[in-house]
Amino acid sequence: MISSHILSWIVFLPAIGGLICLVAPKKQIKTIAVLASLATMLLSLTLFSTFLGGADDPTEVFGQSYGKLHHVERATWIELPGELKIEYFLGIDGLGFPLFVLTTVVSFLACLASWNFETWKVNKGIRAYFILFLLLETGMLGVFVSLDFFLFYIFWEVMLLPMYFLIGVWGGARKEYAAIKFFLFTLGGSVLMLVALVAMYFYSGAAIDQAGGSVASGYLSGSGTALTHGTFDLIELATNPTIQSYFSAVSTTFLGIKFAPIMFIFLFVGFAIKLPCVPVHTWLPDAHVEAPTPISMILAGVLLKMGGYGFLRLCYPIFPSGGQYWAFTLAMIGLVSILYGGFCALAQSDFKKLVAYSSVSHMGYVLLGIAVMTTAGFQGAMFQMIAHGISSPMCFFLVGVIYDRAHHREINRFGGLWLTMPKYGTLATIGFFASLGLPGLCGFIGEVWVVLGTFQAGSNPEMPWAYAMAVIAAAAVILTAGYILWLIRRVYLGTEREEYKGFSDTSSREMFILVPLAVLCIAMGIFPMQTVFNFTNGTLDLMLTMMNNGIVSVAM
Amino acid sequence: MAEHTLEIALAVGVLTPLFSFWALVFFGPKLGKPAAGWFGVVFGMGVPLACATYVLFGWLGAMEAGESAALTANAWRGTWAVLGDVPITIGVKLDSLTVAMYFMVTFIAFWIFFFSVGYMQGHSDEVAGQRKYWRFFAYLSLFGFSMLGLVVSSNLVFLFIFWELVGLCSYLLIGFYFDKPVPQHAQMKAFITNRVGDFGFLIGLMLVYFHLGTTDLDEAAAVFAQQAAAGTGIFASHFTMFGWSLATIMGVGLFCGAMGKSAQFPLHVWLPDAMAGPTPVSALIHAATMVAAGVYLVARVFRLMTPDALMFVSLIGCLTLTLMALIAVVQTDIKKCLAYSTLSQLGYMIFGLGSGAWIAALFHLITHAFFKAMMFLGSGQVIEGCHHEQDMRKMGGLWKKMPVTCITFLVGVLAIAGTGIPGTQIGLGGFFSKDEILAVSYARAFEWDDASKFEESGHGEGHGGEHADVSPPTKRVMLASDPVQHGDDHAQPTHAVLEAESHGAVGAASIFAYTPKLPKWMFYLALFTAYITPFYMMRAWWLTFMGKPRDDHVYEHAHESPMMYIPLAVLAVGTVFASYSLFRPLIADASIVGSAAPLVMAMAGDSHSHAPAIHVAHDFLKVGVGGAFLVGFLLAIAIYRNGLGLGEKLKRAFGPIHTLLDNKYYIDELYDLVFVKGFVLIANIARFVDTWIVDLLVNLFAAAAERFAAFCGLILDTHGVDGIVNGVAKSSRDFGHVVRLPQTGRVRHYVLAATGVATIVFLCVLWASREASDVALAAVSASLGN
Repeated sequence: MISSHILSWIVFLPAIGGLICLVAPKKQIKTIAVLASLATMLLSLTLFSTFLGGADDPTEVFGQSYGKLHHVERATWIELPGELKIEYFLGIDGLGFPLFVLTTVVSFLACLASWNFETWKVNKGIRAYFILFLLLETGMLGVFVSLDFFLFYIFWEVMLLPMYFLIGVWGGARKEYAAIKFFLFTLGGSVLMLVALVAMYFYSGAAIDQAGGSVASGYLSGSGTALTHGTFDLIELATNPTIQSYFSAVSTTFLGIKFAPIMFIFLFVGFAIKLPCVPVHTWLPDAHVEAPTPISMILAGVLLKMGGYGFLRLCYPIFPSGGQYWAFTLAMIGLVSILYGGFCALAQSDFKKLVAYSSVSHMGYVLLGIAVMTTAGFQGAMFQMIAHGISSPMCFFLVGVIYDRAHHREINRFGGLWLTMPKYGTLATIGFFASLGLPGLCGFIGEVWVVLGTFQAGSNPEMPWAYAMAVIAAAAVILTAGYILWLIRRVYLGTEREEYKGFSDTSSREMFILVPLAVLCIAMGIFPMQTVFNFTNGTLDLMLTMMNNGIVSVAM
Repeated sequence: MAEHTLEIALAVGVLTPLFSFWALVFFGPKLGKPAAGWFGVVFGMGVPLACATYVLFGWLGAMEAGESAALTANAWRGTWAVLGDVPITIGVKLDSLTVAMYFMVTFIAFWIFFFSVGYMQGHSDEVAGQRKYWRFFAYLSLFGFSMLGLVVSSNLVFLFIFWELVGLCSYLLIGFYFDKPVPQHAQMKAFITNRVGDFGFLIGLMLVYFHLGTTDLDEAAAVFAQQAAAGTGIFASHFTMFGWSLATIMGVGLFCGAMGKSAQFPLHVWLPDAMAGPTPVSALIHAATMVAAGVYLVARVFRLMTPDALMFVSLIGCLTLTLMALIAVVQTDIKKCLAYSTLSQLGYMIFGLGSGAWIAALFHLITHAFFKAMMFLGSGQVIEGCHHEQDMRKMGGLWKKMPVTCITFLVGVLAIAGTGIPGTQIGLGGFFSKDEILAVSYARAFEWDDASKFEESGHGEGHGGEHADVSPPTKRVMLASDPVQHGDDHAQPTHAVLEAESHGAVGAASIFAYTPKLPKWMFYLALFTAYITPFYMMRAWWLTFMGKPRDDHVYEHAHESPMMYIPLAVLAVGTVFASYSLFRPLIADASIVGSAAPLVMAMAGDSHSHAPAIHVAHDFLKVGVGGAFLVGFLLAIAIYRNGLGLGEKLKRAFGPIHTLLDNKYYIDELYDLVFVKGFVLIANIARFVDTWIVDLLVNLFAAAAERFAAFCGLILDTHGVDGIVNGVAKSSRDFGHVVRLPQTGRVRHYVLAATGVATIVFLCVLWASREASDVALAAVSASLGN
């Protein structure tokens, strides 16, 4: 039973844990939550067995076609016969798989990071906290595996509310402000996504009507499946030639504007807010500064990735011509994010805010890599997401470790912590150097792949600007080195300070969280194929091929 | 010999230091002093040295048996990752250059590790209560891993990875005493300055990746040669910047990386500061091995350099060697003096490579590594013996207390000065290498256009025969000086691809038809510096060891210990040894790597000789270069014979010049003003914009939405006049505090209102601007070259 519905089990296991927490005695809640997230993680790791044992090259597993999904679960969920069909459609491919596993791992570690809940400033409502936490995990996991747009949207919103409360109730001094800012920004994006959701349904319906009322499925070819009305099936929307050609046709308009570019932007805005990129990034520093440490870990480690995932799952495969059309704008936004985030990080005096702005900068690489639509760019963006999903929770937890002891985050008031806490100092060095993009650690691969991919795009006659962008993005590595090294110098180096002398080094619980992250940082830096690329490249390559075939030049 | 044995041995030698690193990280504290050090010596460098020795003999055997080329060609390659569509391969680059560098690095590093065991016992507990002894050896081991990895890398991407890792080790080791402000500053400066160079490296890498379609060193060179011949790929581009073609930019970009690591002007600023690290680190990383990595890189990518790029290399090298030597003259800190001398010597190597003296430059790299490491260790011995005093003005007369250090240091001074008897084969280090660099640059500067002289060159005949008709300019630039060996050297079978491409095709390539003459002033500067070098080195030696003791306290305390002078003696012998046998033939054999490069091919005569001597048949050069050391030595001795008196007088006489040199041309101050302050300023502006503009807009928008919601709510709920008054007052109070507690129940309003307004505004904008945007976008896309 588990094996045939493994994705559902993984997605809802945290929610089940949450239900148990609802009735469990107060003392057991932490344990139950940790066990639930642990079980989720272990179960998600069993997905690797898909790639073991057989002669299957992992690239092949996901690689044979864009629609080649694994562990598919499909059932009609809401149906108005002849008019509307919403499916419960889960499946996993090279795009979702690494992010899915990343989510379970980061959630488990973040759950463990919540273990000292009782010592927090706001330490009431432990039951509510863990229930919301587990609900959040379910929402996040659902986003990465749902392939029906409607279902996707529901998970997307499910994830929003717990996050709002987790920041707004258990956060720092300006928690309400931060929480509502986060909520409003995200919701603003969701509204546009909702418009796109409805429009895509009706327009796909129109396409089918135009083609005579019944069209063979694009990716389930040979199965006899036929479409008779609009669809929410994300794979179908991307692969069905009838729908695709209707979507990208010049005569298809929405509110008088060409359909593909405008829909692309509707979807893009929501994901760009999540990513986040300049200028819609301002919720991020506030949310991070106010959120409790484990929530920051989740926020940076997983939530930001949904933006990038959204681009790759919805924007580009369904509206490739939109991507082509907006390429310069998007790449520019990415580039500005890289630089602007970097400069803002350099100027921060709050430890956590610095790491938050560095996230803006790092996510800029994701957008840049995707926007240029080259193989290396896509691969780099994907890798950067996973790498940042490992290194940024680590950095946030490192901030949390010292915040728990010093109860402040003023960078300039620290100093000499490497002497006070040698183990902590060593792990911090690994974490921050990974963030800096040191070769041999995870941050390097993504950045280099993106920069090279951007450069490659320059040969496309429509993207001559890509050369200049690649050069500027490469120059940003100096900026990154600047703010990270300056941070390390101010916090970890220097003479020991009196006020911090009594601090204990990292506890075994903290080590248990930091060491796996550090190991992953190193492993991903040394074995990029085995850890990420083998799973993602097949899907990404095919997506690009498909997109390049599908791009019809649209003039708005 | 079994297949891949040598590669495996090299790989084992690379990986043992990594093992040593991890072992020390986990068990270092338990091992304590000095066991952790001995552990580092054995596993960090002992095993690699054994591997290196094994490989060296294996390789020499293979060379004799004529199998070496096959070994290079059949080396194992695996795929590490796929970048776009280009596989990034991993493997060991097995050739004479690797073998020579590997042996040099392991040999020197071993003795420096050995030295450190004793030296660091007194230098690792500066921080109260912290045992950092083991940490030092852990870092050194990590460095060993990175440096050896760099040497054996067969792929530019891997070269870059190890390149950054040595940078990291350098960062960690410079900041070994990170509780003090000076090392902290120095380590950051080193890393960031290197990153500036790496930025160039990355651009070079982008061009290699994209235009050559491979990042494997050999394949890239082959493709480059093909493209040069056919005028395709990177040579098809009409893009120019600063008058450089794209191919030149690629070479210059890669060279920028070397400029950072080898501390070439204007990125040299980090190296003198890096002397804040422990002395063995200065000896190992900042004199012998890591800083030479830049030179090694240029040698490796030599085949990707166009003549214009090489001219830039020459220019940078020339400026560095002169400017830094002048600073060295006024230094009073013994380590700083050595640091500037290192910079100047690195400048020589780079200059040599740029001029085409491939063999001489690498030979200089290796001899320099020996004697400079030795001199740094000697200075460490002196500093240790003199109560951590580094000021040479307070030393003097130490030869009585430290005879071994004194003599070994003198060997170094003689070697760096290029001491030898002109016209014979008797001499040390620089006598062969530096003088040959000068000879080649002389030829490049003065004899380049003199076609008649080279028309009949033996080498030109040997090769030129088949393609002389195709490419007259190539033939024209052949040098006459060493007509003998070259035929055989090239006749040997080598890497199959290279051989096929290089000799015929490259020479004919139009891009190389014009190889510019070296400006004469470059040669004159290099020659002038050849006189400065002996002067400042002799000055340092004399001030430290000779004359009368100038500070009794320092003199009283001075001593030396065998633990430390054994490595000195070994390296001194090594210096003499390195000047003569082993390395020269190895590098000459490796020159086959460089020979595919157009410049070397063109001037194959001089730089490809096996015999260590000056070949340029000009008496002027023989005497002018060969005798330089004497002039410098005598001048230094004349000035400092009686202590500092005369030196002080000269200092006053040359007041402004001395001030300029003493302040290192104010480059540090300039950088601080422009870059550090500039960056911080931009950062603060960004923060200001973020807090006061972007955020303020968001908040204002939200506040407006709140007002709107409150207004609607009041009207619809008919709260009446009172309600309006209260509501407005309350809203005003809340202005700026956009949000209240979620529990107030008003959240709903905000959410609805804010998103509603946002959507409406967004749609309105889109609707209104769709015609306008059509026009604007069409204009933009037109201007972008559609």
